[in-house]
Amino acid sequence: MRDFIAREAPKSDAAGRANCWAVCDADFSKAMGRAGYVGMTWPVEYGGHARHPLHRYVVLEELLAAGAPVGMHWIADRQSGPLLLRYGTEEQRRVHLPGIAAGETYVCIGMSEPGAGSDLASIRTQGVRDGDGWRISGQKVWTTNAHNAQLMIALVRTVEGSQRNEGLTQFLIPLDTPGVTVRPIIDLVGGHDFNEVFLDNVHVPDTARVGAEGNGWKQVTAELSLERSGPERYLSSYAALVELIRFAGPDPEPVLAVLIGRLTAELWTLRQMSQSTAAKLAAGEDPALEAAIVKDLGNSFEQELPRAIQAALDGADDLSAATDLMRVLALLLQVSPSFSLRGGTREILRGIIARGLGLR
Amino acid sequence: MSESRTPLTDTADRLFADVAANPDAAFAEVWPAIAEAGFESLLLSEEQGGFGGDWGDLFAVARLAGAHALAAPVGEAAVAAWALAQAGLAPSEGLATIAPVVDGCLADGRFTGSLRGAPWGGAAETVVATHAGSLLRLRTADAHVQAGHSPVGEPRDILIFEAAAVEAAPCDIDLFACGAFLRTAQIAGALDAALEASIVYANERVQFGKPISKFQTVQQSLAVFAIEAAAVNSAGQAAARAADAGDAGFEFAAAKLRANAAAGQGAALAHQVHGAIGFTHEYPLHRLTRRLAGWRSEFGGDRFWAQRLGCRVAGLGPEGLWPELARRSDAA
Repeated sequence: MRDFIAREAPKSDAAGRANCWAVCDADFSKAMGRAGYVGMTWPVEYGGHARHPLHRYVVLEELLAAGAPVGMHWIADRQSGPLLLRYGTEEQRRVHLPGIAAGETYVCIGMSEPGAGSDLASIRTQGVRDGDGWRISGQKVWTTNAHNAQLMIALVRTVEGSQRNEGLTQFLIPLDTPGVTVRPIIDLVGGHDFNEVFLDNVHVPDTARVGAEGNGWKQVTAELSLERSGPERYLSSYAALVELIRFAGPDPEPVLAVLIGRLTAELWTLRQMSQSTAAKLAAGEDPALEAAIVKDLGNSFEQELPRAIQAALDGADDLSAATDLMRVLALLLQVSPSFSLRGGTREILRGIIARGLGLR
Repeated sequence: MSESRTPLTDTADRLFADVAANPDAAFAEVWPAIAEAGFESLLLSEEQGGFGGDWGDLFAVARLAGAHALAAPVGEAAVAAWALAQAGLAPSEGLATIAPVVDGCLADGRFTGSLRGAPWGGAAETVVATHAGSLLRLRTADAHVQAGHSPVGEPRDILIFEAAAVEAAPCDIDLFACGAFLRTAQIAGALDAALEASIVYANERVQFGKPISKFQTVQQSLAVFAIEAAAVNSAGQAAARAADAGDAGFEFAAAKLRANAAAGQGAALAHQVHGAIGFTHEYPLHRLTRRLAGWRSEFGGDRFWAQRLGCRVAGLGPEGLWPELARRSDAA
């Protein structure tokens, strides 16, 4: 795996390696597909490689630790493919999974809406029966990679006036379908990761429906356990730790040695916790509580890491310095607030944990 | 994990709960029942007359000792017995404990110097320590004992020796790190117990017309507490797996460091949720939180382990940390 990364991943500086699962590179995703590193656990008949989930986990860790640009296929590999394997039709699997596993088909997640962020159950995008198919209208937002993906899996209210998490259904919508408009949302550092997606009377056949009508809430909840416990939830700032170790040298001054030790202990602990959650997922359990714990603790680590390094430096250089360490710090100090927003806010995760403790 | 974990932990749980029910009992009355149960031979093989347990078993037992705020050196005795067997020294008669700090010199089979911070050092028959590549066993009867105490009042004695007879054998065991592992396990148990007490209390205590557990701010505090407790338990179990697989110097350091951070935050959250009642002597929360305060310093505080681990990682170089993490867990 390390040989593959050294050979195929584009060379980039530390800032380019940070938060690398949001960095898109179609050529690298295709190279990963050719080498069998996408859809690793899926059956061979759908283009997968029938590997054990923990084998895949190790591959993900290596990619993230190396800062490889895996953003293009990340969501499809992590949750869309598994969703189709679990709830999709045979036709959906045969049509879409081989392209995903090849690193050529990319998927975005249509969950959040302008009025439905943390309160996902309040979504309003509406699907109504129309002959053999459906007409879907509404708006999705914060849709990562919609400008690159060919497909969106959207959560849609298919029972008009249904309450909260009832009457929701998932649909696979090709983004070139008439009535779909994708508009960029530029983030605070000028980057383009997420989008608004407008659905204006979009017609899809019933074969685009994923899972049973009304089963959408259960399906997205299962997806979220996959989304929340992986190594990407604590490794987004790892590139800055690498640069700190480089900066500190083999015989570090005490304040930097103490910081490296503290960050390493947290990293090592998170890795144990994430691996143990991965083992539960591999055994077919749904460790929603453990996944929430990993994500919240991991996000706190990813956010604290650049701040703690900044605080420990002696200030001889400021963040305008063109060194790898300062460039990666400057980037992470600006973008890390998003780490505890994407994939479920800290407050929502702690609410899930509180429910697990019997407090709600 | 050895197969007898469940009967073992059941026994420990019952026994430690009985002892904890009478916290004012004298140590001399408490220890025989614990010694009788044989926990000190936990890590010895069956051929050595022991239980044949592994470090996962020791974690489980020491964790329960922490959860019950057990005032007895059950883990220290197990580590002392194991270290003696590893070094080829005969088993101890009576309680053998370990000392974290050794200061002195060994000459002609005699030891002159001091052992400090020894848990129940004055009450033990012998104290085991490492010094300059040797494992030492000294008789408490040969020492001048200066009583010292942890914050909660457990003995942490200083033993001063003047040309005392000593048994010594070459040994590369890091006894200090083993002590840190014990404190990690006790912190894990005490945090789980304090969390449980805090949840029960928050569900019972009514203010503003409802249990305080129904307030989001209290829920979020308890969620943070649960995360900290989960982190220490996960770290401690991983350290035990590493020790069962071989060298665990890295893992013992990382786990104690993580446990230290959680000990501070967890104790603070437990008291915050409990309000004033948790600050009374009558309410038992302090048996856990005052121990947590002491355990954070014992067998290496944050700075000690952070510096040791940090220097080790710096020595691996910037590209060396990840392969080392992966290699170490592959071995375990």
